[in-house]
Amino acid sequence: MAGLAGVVLLLGGCSALYPPNAASSQGADIRTLYSIFMVPMIAIFVLVEGLIVWSVLRYRRRKGDDELPVQTHGNNLLEITWTVLPTLLVLVLFFVSWQTLNKVDAEPANPAVTVDVTGFQWQWTFAYPQYNLSYTGIGDQGPVLVLPVDEVIHVRLHSNDVIHSFYVPDFLFKRDVIPGQVNNFDLNLKDAGVTYTGQCAQLCGMGHYQMRFTVQTMTPAGFQAWVQTEQAKAKATPAPAAGGQAGPTLQLSASSTTRFDESTLSAPAGQPFTVQLTNKTAGAPHNFSIKDASGKVLFTGLPLAQPGQTVSYSVPALPAGTYTFFCSVHPTNMTGTLTVK
Amino acid sequence: MATTVLAPGATRTYRRSVLYEWLTTTDHKKIGILYLTNSFLFFLLAGLLALVIRSELAVPGLQFVNSSTYNQLFTMHGTTMIFLVLMPFLAGLGNYAVPLQIGAADMAFPRINALSFWMLPLGGILMFSGFFFGGAAAEGWTSYSPLAQAKYSGSGTDLWIVALLLIGTSSILGSINFLATIFKLRAPGMTLLRMPVFVWTVMVTSLLILLATPVFTSGVFMLYIDRNFGGAFFDPASGGNPILWQNLFWFFGHPEVYILILPAMGVISEVIPVFSRKPIFGYKAFIFATLLIGGLGFSVWAHHMFTTGAVYLPFFSLTTSLIGVPTGIKFFNWIATMWRGKISFATPMLFAVGFLSTFLVGGLDGAILASPPVDFALHDTYWIVAHIHFVFFGGTMFGVFAAAYYWFPKMFGARLDEGLGKIHFVLMLIGTWVTFFPMHLLGLEGMPRRIADYSPAAGWTDLNTVETIGSFIIAISVLPFMWNVFVTLRGPRDAGDDPWDGYTLEWATTSPPPPYNFDHLPPIRSERPLFDLKYGHGARRALPSASVATTQEGAS
Repeated sequence: MAGLAGVVLLLGGCSALYPPNAASSQGADIRTLYSIFMVPMIAIFVLVEGLIVWSVLRYRRRKGDDELPVQTHGNNLLEITWTVLPTLLVLVLFFVSWQTLNKVDAEPANPAVTVDVTGFQWQWTFAYPQYNLSYTGIGDQGPVLVLPVDEVIHVRLHSNDVIHSFYVPDFLFKRDVIPGQVNNFDLNLKDAGVTYTGQCAQLCGMGHYQMRFTVQTMTPAGFQAWVQTEQAKAKATPAPAAGGQAGPTLQLSASSTTRFDESTLSAPAGQPFTVQLTNKTAGAPHNFSIKDASGKVLFTGLPLAQPGQTVSYSVPALPAGTYTFFCSVHPTNMTGTLTVK
Repeated sequence: MATTVLAPGATRTYRRSVLYEWLTTTDHKKIGILYLTNSFLFFLLAGLLALVIRSELAVPGLQFVNSSTYNQLFTMHGTTMIFLVLMPFLAGLGNYAVPLQIGAADMAFPRINALSFWMLPLGGILMFSGFFFGGAAAEGWTSYSPLAQAKYSGSGTDLWIVALLLIGTSSILGSINFLATIFKLRAPGMTLLRMPVFVWTVMVTSLLILLATPVFTSGVFMLYIDRNFGGAFFDPASGGNPILWQNLFWFFGHPEVYILILPAMGVISEVIPVFSRKPIFGYKAFIFATLLIGGLGFSVWAHHMFTTGAVYLPFFSLTTSLIGVPTGIKFFNWIATMWRGKISFATPMLFAVGFLSTFLVGGLDGAILASPPVDFALHDTYWIVAHIHFVFFGGTMFGVFAAAYYWFPKMFGARLDEGLGKIHFVLMLIGTWVTFFPMHLLGLEGMPRRIADYSPAAGWTDLNTVETIGSFIIAISVLPFMWNVFVTLRGPRDAGDDPWDGYTLEWATTSPPPPYNFDHLPPIRSERPLFDLKYGHGARRALPSASVATTQEGAS
């Protein structure tokens, strides 16, 4: 019984030494490569630790043993052996790994879907240039990247500010998102209807740990249907009303991704008002949203104010009280107090 | 400190206060002890930062610090451990032991030696003062641009840069001093191929520092210009190149890894032969492997940049694969040294064996990262954190403690207590494995490094809790060591000149040695002059049982 438990524990422990089963064919190749590497790794680990333990137990100095051991200075044959064999081993592993690298980095000529991923402090924008669709992350879960299975997906990575890294653990893959340089990779996904989480892997400032996103897979047909629906939805959404501003206008600006330039605003009670947000940040969009003391979101300003833009948000009347205004793109750190009286 | 006053410099008899003496000393032994003390204080500080980091990560949610403080904590932890703890620990050991081991009276440039040391506490204070000026540096010890540009980071980063300029200059001066000492001040008969392995590793390390650190100090200086005078070196928004920073940083940063491990390997190569009662197996191969690591170390830097898409991957993958070979040779040398030896397990030897068994993991989990596709999966995850800690904590810190227990009797004339030493060792070994091994598993599960918090849904909680417990075991393990030092220094100084029945010249003088070290030297005809004196040419064959510090209880 204990032996069985031991075996189960051992197997459990061993599977923990391997990455998850890959969601992409590239990831599967990487997982295979990892498994190949693990064979000599574990063998060397067991051999060397075994030799250490053996030496420690077998050759310890015993009571009353006062004789000098034989003074061996070396052994050419042995030393050549343990130089040449490891060299051959690492060369073989290098070539195997090079083959996998070529497969993982291959970029077929005609990808079915191209996605432009843009990283900025501390959200992602996923855009589909073929379909004129674009999604910027809001809140602490970030945006959803919808992708079809069984088709070649081409991902282009852009950064607006600092270096980020696009990382989905289930793809066993990440690539850095670097300003001034567009990185690419291709992806073939296997299972439809699955959700994978991803997040930024390169330290990018105080919101780094929250720079999350989700990948949602669909069948190719399902994906096309999703595109149709989303395009129809985009057409139905009216463009933001220009002019027609009701009530007083409050000025708000943001020069960074860490906080608004103004920490307090006040508005009249029971009367609609307008907030004019000027985005002076180089890399990231912002907006103006309101939540009450319980954390319930009362107003979300759309569309987002892109860098350099000024956007007016018409806010419906609020009862008197103290509220929190925040940026939906940077909800934890860009907050302020809105007093309505 | 009863020592025979024979050296010419020690004839001045007027007294000065002890404090004045330590503040103005140019004696390599005192400077070495200053280095070690300073490093230990920063080790405690960096350890406290690590405990806050681990406490924050124990369970999901931000309980103790916010994310920007968290970023400052790991940045300062990493920078402190590398530049103010590990490097100066090894420089301190080198300072103390190298002149003694080559039979020299002092370092070649004693006053420059003092200058090199005093830049360190100054740099450390400057760097930590960031906490009082709007926050310390928070971009990680790698300080990647554009994140390190003025528009994304505070003035703590400027203090970080200035501190590293000071520390970098200190290392460069120190390395020149070591090279001049080793090449010009060896005692008659001490040819290069008779030098102790530790001296060889310090020599190769000094060469690495001399070639790599100026690139780094230039890089941080350029970053300073970027931040304060619109330099546009590394900021793409004004026409600079962020990859250039990474190339400059890692051209230094990877040799730095070898700078931090080679002298620790040197320590191990002193301790294992003495406590196995055999010479180091394959001395020349070991020296060759050290030189090879030093040389190859300059051709592997871009393996830190495999995921940038700006690197020719096969070249750096090949060189990185090959650098595993000389390290492997060393492992076999160490084991073959113990093979058929008569090993006694005093505390220095325990830490040496601890080094072998944990550093092995840091070698293997790093070797797999030489494969770019595997690196695509594991880069910037906790696998990397596991790797760096198995190398620097499981490797270098075990080496540093082995050296501390080994040379303490030489430095102060008294041996540290064996019982407390064993408690220290066992706790530290357990703590190291419990803290750092699960990080591999977290890395495989996809936990990125440098995150202040994680979702409870991610399934990373249990392993993180275990790691936090482990980190406190490590913290506790340091207490018996500190108590040990305190008690031993209050006790009798009765260790004798040669408590371990050593092989090398430092054991041929008094404990502690007088200023200028030696009044006479034994003839040097091999890499073990003292062994030859005691055992060579028909001298006794039997091991001294009473005077040998190693006790039978350690072996049973």
